[in-house]
Amino acid sequence: MQASSNRPGLRIRVGVDVVGIDRVGRLVDENAGLLDEVFSAREQAYCLAKRATRNRHLAGRFAAKEAVLKAFGTGLATRMRWTDVEILNERSGRPKVELHGEVAAFADRGGLSDLDVSVSHSDGIAVSHAVAVWMDGDALPPD
Amino acid sequence: MTTDYRSAVQEAVAGALGLGEDEVTPDATLMDDLGAESIDLLDILFRIERSTGVKIAASDLGDEMQGGIPEDDFGTPEGHVSRQGLDYLHDVVMPQLDPDEWEGKLQAEEVINHFTVQNLADMVGRRAGK
Repeated sequence: MQASSNRPGLRIRVGVDVVGIDRVGRLVDENAGLLDEVFSAREQAYCLAKRATRNRHLAGRFAAKEAVLKAFGTGLATRMRWTDVEILNERSGRPKVELHGEVAAFADRGGLSDLDVSVSHSDGIAVSHAVAVWMDGDALPPD
Repeated sequence: MTTDYRSAVQEAVAGALGLGEDEVTPDATLMDDLGAESIDLLDILFRIERSTGVKIAASDLGDEMQGGIPEDDFGTPEGHVSRQGLDYLHDVVMPQLDPDEWEGKLQAEEVINHFTVQNLADMVGRRAGK
């Protein structure tokens, strides 16, 4: 089905990422600079406050950042930083995304209309699914 | 010099991906041949930093590959790497990429897929020399 075929320029893209929770925890523990390279101050404050489940929350955010970049079709492209994709929480606990820097500029160029992520955890794995709706999808990298 | 960094890079890649070091050949591409994903790249670069003291952030890889060439000069409006970009990649980052072969064919987002273990070792060497 081509849901957007009658709406020129409109494009819906999804991204999914899966990471091992213990692996993210080990990387954080072994590498002092990793937290600041990957997670914003607000993300760190939220996750580090959840002492018993810190790694689960960090892994969920890492997966969500990757899912968003996959939905953008860029991966971590030139001048983009992981901290440009910030995963925060609504009061309800539902994750929400704030974009910054080069990732936000890319979103503006492509006419990003809507972006949503969902995160889940099970059996040592964190998984995230992102959906991005673009109004000027022709500006995106080709499939 | 490069040989020393090659060994450190092979060890880091093997450790991060759970491979034998004999599987991590210099001409193996990190993403396509060895199956590395973003978190693996992060792991590899931090392992290299611990063993060599040379810091390369994963988010700096794109800048390293582009070599300071402005975005509009590195890529064409169609999203391909420009001739100038291909010449830079061949001369500095990925000598295995033939500009004549790839002109008008290589998407900017695909450059990383051609990045080999040896290319990373050379990049570490350049960064160490700065």
